[in-house]
Amino acid sequence: MPGVIAAGVLDELVAICGEDHVFTGRSALFNRARVPAPFPVHRWEEHIPQAVVMPTSAEQVSEVVKLANRDGIPVVPRAGGTGLADGAVPLRGGILVDVKLMDQIHEIDLEDLTVTVGAGINMQTLNRALAPHGVIYPDDPASYPCSLVGGRIGTNGWSLLGGRYGHVRDLVLSFEIVLPTGEIVRVGEGGGRKCRKSSVGYQLKPLFIGHQGTLGIVTEATLELVPRAECEFAGFFLYDGFEPAYQTMRKVARSGLSTLTGVMFFDPEKVAYLRRDDEAYIEVPDWVKAVCGISLYGSRCEVEPAVGEVMRMGRELGGRYIGDEISSADWACRHDRYATPQHGRTRDGQVVLMSWHCEDAALPISQMPAVREKWHQIARRYVERYGIFDDWGMFAYTNAGFKPWGDVLMEIDLGLWEPRMDEDNWQAFVSLKREIAQTVLEHGGTMSAAHGGTRAGDAELVPTEMGSAWDLMKRVKRMLDPNNIMNPGKQMLDEAYEED
Amino acid sequence: MAETTTSGEATNGRSSTLPEEFLEQWRDVAYNCFSSGHKFCREVCPVTQVTRDERFTPTAFHANVIAMEKGHLSIEDVAEDYVNCTMCGACELRCPNTLFTGDFYRFRQRTIDVVKAMRAFAVEQGIHQKNWQRWAELTDRWGNEPVLGWTRETSGSKVRAWAAGLDIPTGGETVLFADCEAAFKRPSVPRSVALLLRACGVEFGLMDQQWCCGGPMWETGYVDIAHKMAEHNMIDWRKTHTKRIICPDPHDYITIIEHYPPLDENFDEFEIVLAVDLIAEAIREGRLELGTPVQRTVTYHDPCRLNKRLGVWQSPREILRAIPGLTFIDVDHVTQWSYCSGAGSNLWVEKPELTAEISRRRIAKAQELPGVDGLVSACPWSERPLTEQGEAVGMDVFDIFEITAEAAGFEV
Amino acid sequence: MLVFRLSAQRPPKPERVTDVVVTRLEHVLEVDPDLMRKHVAQQDIPNWDMHRIVSARWEHIRDIHEQWADSIVLAGEGSELGAGPPEPMGET
Repeated sequence: MPGVIAAGVLDELVAICGEDHVFTGRSALFNRARVPAPFPVHRWEEHIPQAVVMPTSAEQVSEVVKLANRDGIPVVPRAGGTGLADGAVPLRGGILVDVKLMDQIHEIDLEDLTVTVGAGINMQTLNRALAPHGVIYPDDPASYPCSLVGGRIGTNGWSLLGGRYGHVRDLVLSFEIVLPTGEIVRVGEGGGRKCRKSSVGYQLKPLFIGHQGTLGIVTEATLELVPRAECEFAGFFLYDGFEPAYQTMRKVARSGLSTLTGVMFFDPEKVAYLRRDDEAYIEVPDWVKAVCGISLYGSRCEVEPAVGEVMRMGRELGGRYIGDEISSADWACRHDRYATPQHGRTRDGQVVLMSWHCEDAALPISQMPAVREKWHQIARRYVERYGIFDDWGMFAYTNAGFKPWGDVLMEIDLGLWEPRMDEDNWQAFVSLKREIAQTVLEHGGTMSAAHGGTRAGDAELVPTEMGSAWDLMKRVKRMLDPNNIMNPGKQMLDEAYEED
Repeated sequence: MAETTTSGEATNGRSSTLPEEFLEQWRDVAYNCFSSGHKFCREVCPVTQVTRDERFTPTAFHANVIAMEKGHLSIEDVAEDYVNCTMCGACELRCPNTLFTGDFYRFRQRTIDVVKAMRAFAVEQGIHQKNWQRWAELTDRWGNEPVLGWTRETSGSKVRAWAAGLDIPTGGETVLFADCEAAFKRPSVPRSVALLLRACGVEFGLMDQQWCCGGPMWETGYVDIAHKMAEHNMIDWRKTHTKRIICPDPHDYITIIEHYPPLDENFDEFEIVLAVDLIAEAIREGRLELGTPVQRTVTYHDPCRLNKRLGVWQSPREILRAIPGLTFIDVDHVTQWSYCSGAGSNLWVEKPELTAEISRRRIAKAQELPGVDGLVSACPWSERPLTEQGEAVGMDVFDIFEITAEAAGFEV
Repeated sequence: MLVFRLSAQRPPKPERVTDVVVTRLEHVLEVDPDLMRKHVAQQDIPNWDMHRIVSARWEHIRDIHEQWADSIVLAGEGSELGAGPPEPMGET
């Protein structure tokens, strides 16, 4: 367990942030150790920070970071703490920089359609403030009601509406970031805070989008605004096998419909999982083995004609329409379709509380069938051997921003009996994760489309996945963070500091 | 019958670990949150909106139970954290464990109950919040809460003073339960209700000695005092064979329906009714005429216990839409899941600055609406901090019964 | 109107829907309570609270729709599930 922070350092932190915004109490530390489960609760003490600061300005963040650099104290940036890859989980104590108080809306520019906000603001809260103006910030992950802009940048977040509006990296125009050595810099498209595309200077923005808090701390961002869509449509079709649903997904993904926002897919194991608890309003007959859902957003003059085409494509390979009511309701639930713990079942079908591991690989769409089979084989082995796992099926979704045709976010959802967590079970989980991630790499994919490779099970494989780019990645890390203080230990980046 | 994990012994010299009865009751609810940890509760929490502090989040309130079981935290570490909650119910409603699957499994999130249990445990261990302790002692001594301050007695014998001149009988089949805050601090509310009920043709009496419903006692951890209040009130009802209790204040209603039945095996004798529903029904059926225009532009504040905790949001809007001359700019009740006055569970007694900021933000939201200079609520407790914050910026705060009584031609 | 009567809060006996799902209240599906005997016990939820949850869910869904688009376009068709599985289409 990390030791108590030095009294002198604590005094300096108080001088920087004010005594009301520096915390060393046990509940402050223990309640910032974790992100969503699964979590090695038996090693909770290993993951607490030594101190927490809640700064209210980039200048305060800068001073804290400089102090940490001077004394070699780890810094862990934390926005929402809602990530699914442990990016905001401290590994070596240190000072946790919690950005939630920087949650103001600084400027709404309806002329040039941008909004400038503190990194600590949540997208739904932001959009409720924007609603009277008829515009939205269309970053829409499954954590939409709870994740924060800083974390979205840190994870290179993925949005349900990405096929139509782009993902976080397309929606963040520029931002202010405190580098690991304390400098406050603004990165964007060239020097234009509100410009969308520039060829001046290096493209530094993408470097920091998805850095998982290892290259600095974002304090403020200027974001894209879009007019709220005139209408939306969602249609869900049910199939009697994997193949027709999969082929429908491919067909729709390359249909060229301009209002196409996403195509999603549930495999037979996922349907079986849904059937056993029905989420209180979806009844699914036995012959249904797979589901394909299609969503459109845009102007009525475009969406209405496209609906006819979608209905035709959905049915062409034998799909049955689930009906208007369920289609529109189920689509709405996508925005927070988290797997609740009570979906867990023991092998004899009893309800148990399970945490949800969501493996979120991205793969070329052609690899979907093979990877799915291997994943379920792996899951089956662990389910049979350990008694704490449950296979909740596979889900796929068109992945790229603006380009639904090429790759898919492929997800396998696994339940883990969280109250049974101990070291053996945690290691089993890590091993399971690793096998799943390994399969992805063997098929030319990336281990994580959305969450990050910072959790055990994925992290060890980051060098493998990065391949020839790994060395470059290490050099960048070392250059920006010479003392390895910024979220150290994540993604195998300690290797950047090993002498050859 | 909950699954038992290895219970943590007191470690690191921590005292006051959670007893097994506590864990048996709350472990599953705690793990239902801990196994998820996705925090949909957070942005709707009025305390989190202001403090942004993870210690005071519903997530922490549940994680602490696990941490305490494992010996990482003790009640001394967390007691004060649990003060920071208005028990508005947004978190436990918004949580997918309730909203999406709570009915399917007959198992929902119960953050409010967890907070109540932890506050009670703290009190049992001798850890008191100074003002809450004093508040509880005075409630015990006087029978009603010290809503007029520490020195102005609010006894059961004075609780009917608001009804002076109205000739309301004592007891009877239907009784109006006027609530301490309303009766003593904002008497125009029960007066308005009484006049409106009469105008609808509802016959009712007042209790001989109405005591505090007990709600804030349960909420702040003084369970024995709560029981005493409840038992007294039920004896009072039975003295005149009361069958129906009308509650203008949703705090009383929810306290009575949640906490009284376990204390009384014959509770089914009683029927508990919300005054706001009765009045809305009377208007709908033409038994109450609102003939006096009220020329104001107002918006409505969904009180937490009415909207989030009880799902009652239509009746008050129906009433407001029936008031002639009134321009009513609505904000829908789901958006208002994240709204709060900050007064609930006596937060303002212990942390007045936090309640003040929550209320200030609520008033600011009303100010954003075009032309609105009046905020109507349906809960006297919310009206205290909202009125104070409203005064500072020229936003008048009404209780729904006050404004409806005006529309019915009454001067209150 | 939310008139509270204690005896009206107890749910009716469950009727089977599938091998793992039952129903008690109209339009409300529930897990077979036998599946919650060993590890996680069900709570005592009064009928008014069950209705509150179900209503709140639909209200929440409506709110979500309104956040993302001004209107919903529907296909204008009901469920085809009653028609059974599709005719075999040949080798897939």
